[in-house]
Parts: sequence; structure tokens; C-alpha cells
Amino acid sequence: MSNKVVIAHLYPREMNIYGDAGNLLTLLKRLEWRGYEAEIRTVEIGQPFDFSGVDIIFGGGGQDRGQLIVGEDLLERGDAIRKAAADGVPMLLVCGLYQLFGRAFITSEGQELPGLGIFRATTEGAKQRMIGNIVVESPFGRLVGFENHSGATLLEPEQMPLGKVVKGYGNDPKSKHEGAITNNVIGTYLHGPILPKNPVLADHLLLTALQRRDKQAKLVALDDKLELAAARTAANRPQ
Amino acid sequence: MRTALTLAATKATGAATRFLGRGGGTALPGLMAERFDPNLASKLAASLPNGVILVTGTNGKTTTTKLLAAALEAKGERVLTNQAGSNLKRGVVSTLIKASNLRGRTTATMGLFEVDEASLRLVAPLLQPRQIIVLNLFRDQLDRYGELDTTARLIGEGIAATKAKLILNADDPLVASLASYAEDPDNVSYFGIEGLPADLATADRSVADSDRCPICNERLSFSRVFYSHLGHYRCPKKHFDRPQPVIAMTRLDKADATGTGFEVSVAGKRHQASITLPGVYNLYNALAALASATAAGVSLETSLKSFSSTTAAFGRVETIDWRGRKLLMLLIKNPTGATQVIETFIVRAKAPKVLIAINDNYADGRDVSWLWDVPFERLAGSKAELIASGLRADDMKLRLHYGGLDSHLEPELADALDRLVTELAAGETGYILPTYTAMLALRKLIGKETALSEVKV
Repeated sequence: MSNKVVIAHLYPREMNIYGDAGNLLTLLKRLEWRGYEAEIRTVEIGQPFDFSGVDIIFGGGGQDRGQLIVGEDLLERGDAIRKAAADGVPMLLVCGLYQLFGRAFITSEGQELPGLGIFRATTEGAKQRMIGNIVVESPFGRLVGFENHSGATLLEPEQMPLGKVVKGYGNDPKSKHEGAITNNVIGTYLHGPILPKNPVLADHLLLTALQRRDKQAKLVALDDKLELAAARTAANRPQ
Repeated sequence: MRTALTLAATKATGAATRFLGRGGGTALPGLMAERFDPNLASKLAASLPNGVILVTGTNGKTTTTKLLAAALEAKGERVLTNQAGSNLKRGVVSTLIKASNLRGRTTATMGLFEVDEASLRLVAPLLQPRQIIVLNLFRDQLDRYGELDTTARLIGEGIAATKAKLILNADDPLVASLASYAEDPDNVSYFGIEGLPADLATADRSVADSDRCPICNERLSFSRVFYSHLGHYRCPKKHFDRPQPVIAMTRLDKADATGTGFEVSVAGKRHQASITLPGVYNLYNALAALASATAAGVSLETSLKSFSSTTAAFGRVETIDWRGRKLLMLLIKNPTGATQVIETFIVRAKAPKVLIAINDNYADGRDVSWLWDVPFERLAGSKAELIASGLRADDMKLRLHYGGLDSHLEPELADALDRLVTELAAGETGYILPTYTAMLALRKLIGKETALSEVKV
């Protein structure tokens, strides 16, 4: 079997704000530094895509205008993506696509847009925009990032959040929950981008992907001095 | 009477804050005026015999204001302008107050103010400008403004509250679509570029910010792209086409680090022009200033002559002689601007020594994720010596590391500047790419040893 790791990038043309492409670069580099080959396949609106050979799925945030068009296209791929989730394919969804992986998005005008339903969560357009540096305690340790969203995501009781907010807003102004995690699918509001400064999370996605092919797979440790220094700085900046 | 009292009180506040050494004393008089007489700014603006022009957009406000002021002054206008750092409502109001005597009169004949994109909505109704210039809309400090479509809507609301003539960039679809907010859709002048040599148009469109039809949301089809989403576009469903610019660059004759020579067509007639500002982005600034000056009655000859001797606004493309070295200060604040700076200056330089200083103070925008949208990878293989500095030096170093580039980490700006200068040979040029507050701090450090044109912020 080829050792090439295949990463699917959801809607790079529409969902590409706040430097989220840095997450892909991080996955690519952390594979390359360990001697793996990697390939990015982009999922574009209206274009056929085969999720069966994919090791990791990533998608970022976009402007509201982009999100509407993406939502419709995503629903048509719902079965394929839900199957990949059930098969344990690791996924990272940031901001806009995190919202679309929930049950529904209700706009500030009251319009209900259905989502994939992978997360037991519903997002409502809120009046208050949640903006600023954010720090979260999670099973992957302390995560740092920058959030910028007006959608408030409410988790159902059985939905596990990604972590607990230490500084910032997270899913909504009240719950102190940040993100959601179901099997190997992770949703979050953290930009920054999230992966460069949270290498433990990046490596979790990579190791999960590699172990789906080979249960014995291990990741060689990297020197994360720079990553952790940048994370420390970010955590200490004002919100 | 009320005007005189308010002016006396607010001017005293400005003087007192300056005396106490708390900042430049620029915003507080504006704040006081809002309390005492909310109409003060409107009255002062109305007293300017030849009216007010407002300049907004993501990139180029300060440079366009400087070019336009030069043209208007060459015609004989006495132009009141604000400092780059004072482009929120209070800053503009304070500028008017400081320039007025107690009777509410100024010696200026015109007001020319650059206005922050989100503040136009507040400033435009107050000052009732004769012209509003919108340069471009790129992603910038989105942590403050939300999203690009929101920013466009806010500008539109500002436009709709006036009878101003609009000067719009034909090549930016979102900007061109703002014409729909004009009271009279015929009272719009567009500027644009007809064509660029292939090596100057940036092929990389990964940072294109708005490439969809503002009406039907269909992806626009582009026959030409100059950079980001600026180019010649049309909606495949025929809802929206690039408007025909009245002022257009028709041929590029010369483009290097010292400036640009070009042919410009004005209402169908062609003229030779030159600016001492490099980069395609400055070409747009010059075209915008030319369109506005022409609408304000400045002759073409006068405008073009004044442009040819106007230097860049401070920190935008500023050459500073320091300790026997040349330092080129190139402000960066968002992906599109930073990409243009890298393409125009750094990629073309031979083994350049570059100091990148990233601050995340409020005026810079707290969010530094945009660094990951800048193609620093373009420097790979250029043998560039890089120094990462500023409050987010660690983020900058990390970004370069993932781009395959090594760099020196010097978080303190003073240390970084020392390091840059030490690495430069006598007479060699060093490049400084700072965010806004890093640029101010660096100028202060440099100013301790060398006289710089005075900057108030």
C-alpha cells in the first residue's frame, strides 16, 4: 500500500478565511518532516468527489455568502461524509463548516438551513459577534486560537464538547463549551489557525489517520519548541 | 454662541491633553464636541467653501489622500486633512475642531479626510461630502468588522446618507457594486486598469476575497486578473459587468522599485503620467486620486504634474537613511497588501535582508491568522535573511518555519533593528515589513538618531 496520506479539503474557494489554509500546511509539513508523502484533494461545489480513498477531511470558515452555497452542496454529499465519519476517518471542521456539520443553522431571519447532523448541535445567528483570543482546556491539552463568529452553537446534552473555555466565548456566550467531538470528528471555532500552535491536535489527526491503515503506526516526535512558544505568547495576549 | 462655547471647551481639552503628554490630543476634542454640540462637525464642514472629500477602502487610503491633496493644493486649494491614525469619527471631528477658530472658521477651502471603512457610515452623514472615494475591499482586521460583505454594506449606508459623487474602483466587483447605493447612479466615476504585462499581474488568486456576483452570487468569470479579485469580470448570468472606467491606465511603460510610468486615458483622451510610487497597488491609488481631482475641477496637467513629485505617505514606501544604511519601510496589514509588498519589492531583490515586525495591538487588529494567507513561500530560494519581531514574533517565526524559511527571532523591536543594520553592508538596503503600531514604534527608534518628517498620531 502506498504511504501517501490523502487529505480532502472541503470548498477551499468559499471556505478560506482567517488563514485556515495554515491548518493544511501544518498537516502537510508534519507528514513531510516524518517522511510521509501527502496529497490534497479539493472538494468543489458541483464537482464529483470520491471520499472512499480519503485519510483526513478538513474544512474551514467562510463568509456568510459562501456558506449558503456550500451548505446545499454539502447536503448532497451527506451520506458519503457520514459513512466516512462512521468509519473513523479523522476530520477537523472550523467555524462555518463546524456549524454545517451540526443538525441545523438558524439564520437571524429565522430561516432554518439543515446540516449534516454529525454533531448533535444547532447554531443560531446571534446579535453579539464573538471575537477575540481564546484559550480552551481539552483532552488534547490547552488549545489556543482566535474566534470570530456570530453564530451561537448549542450542544444537546449527549454531545461532547471539544473542551471548556478558559478565556473567550467558545460555542456561545453562556455554556463555556467550545467545539464538539464525535468519534474522530472534531468541530471548533478556533482560528489562529488552530493546528500550527496546537501540534498535539495536529498529530492526533495524523496518528488517527495512520492507525486506520496500520494499528501499529507511530509518529516520530518532532521538536515543537517554536509551536509551543507561539502558543504561550498567544495565550497571554488580551482577549 | 453654542458653536463658540463648544469650540472653546473642546480646543482647551485638546491643548490640555497634549500638555499633559497623553497622546497627541487628537481624539478627545472630538469626544467633547459630541457631548456639547453634536452638530458642530456638520457646521464646520459646511463652512468649507469647496466642500469635503472622503477616502475609504481597505488599502491605500493614506497614499491616495496624499496624492489628491497635492493635486488640489497645486490648483490653489487650502486642504485640511487628517492624520492616518485619526480616521475614525472622533479623529475627523477633532481635526476639524483643531483647524477652526472660535467663530467656527478655518483658513482651509476644502476638507479631505481618510475614513476607516466601518466609520464612513457615521462620518458621511455628518460631513455631507461632495465626493466619496472607495478604493478596494480586502480582508482586513476582520476581528473588528465582521465580514467583507458587512463592511460593504456599512459603506453603502454611509453613501446612501449623502448626495456625494462616487469615485469607485471598476476592477473590484464589491466596490463597483456600491454604485447601487448612490442617490443618482449616473453621478459615479469609475477608475480602473485596462491591462498589465503578464509578469506584473499576480497569478496567485488563492487570496481572492470576493469573486462572486453581488446580485446572484454566481462565481464571476474573469478575463483578466491583476491581483486578488481585482480585474475584468462579468457575471455569467449577465447580472453584473465591470463598469467602463472613465479614468483608466491603458499602457504600462516602466515599472521598477523607484516608480511607475504609464499612459492614462481620461474620457477617451490619452496622456503620459508617472508616479514615484512603485507597485500596481499604487497605480490604483493614483487613478483614484486623478478621478477625484478631475471631478473637483483640477486640470489634468496640474494633477499629473503634482503626482510626479509626490512621495509615499510615511511608512507606506518610505526610504530612511540610517547609520549609513538605507531602510525601506513597507507597511503590511492584511494578506493582499502584504502579498503586493512581497511581490513588488522582496521577490525582486537579491538576497534581501528583511525585518518582519508583527504587533497585535488594537490598531493592528488582534487576529494574526492572516499571516498564514500571505505567500511567504515566495521567498524560498531567494537567500533572504529574515528577522521575526514584534509582539507576535513567535507567530511570525512559526509561519516562516512552516513555509520552509529560517529566521532570527528578535521579539524586541530595538534588538531586531540593531540586528538588521548590523547585517547590512554600507549603502545596502534593508527591508522592514511592520504592522501599523510596529511601524510607529520603529520610526520612533529610528527618529532618536535621525531627523524624520514629523509624524503625529
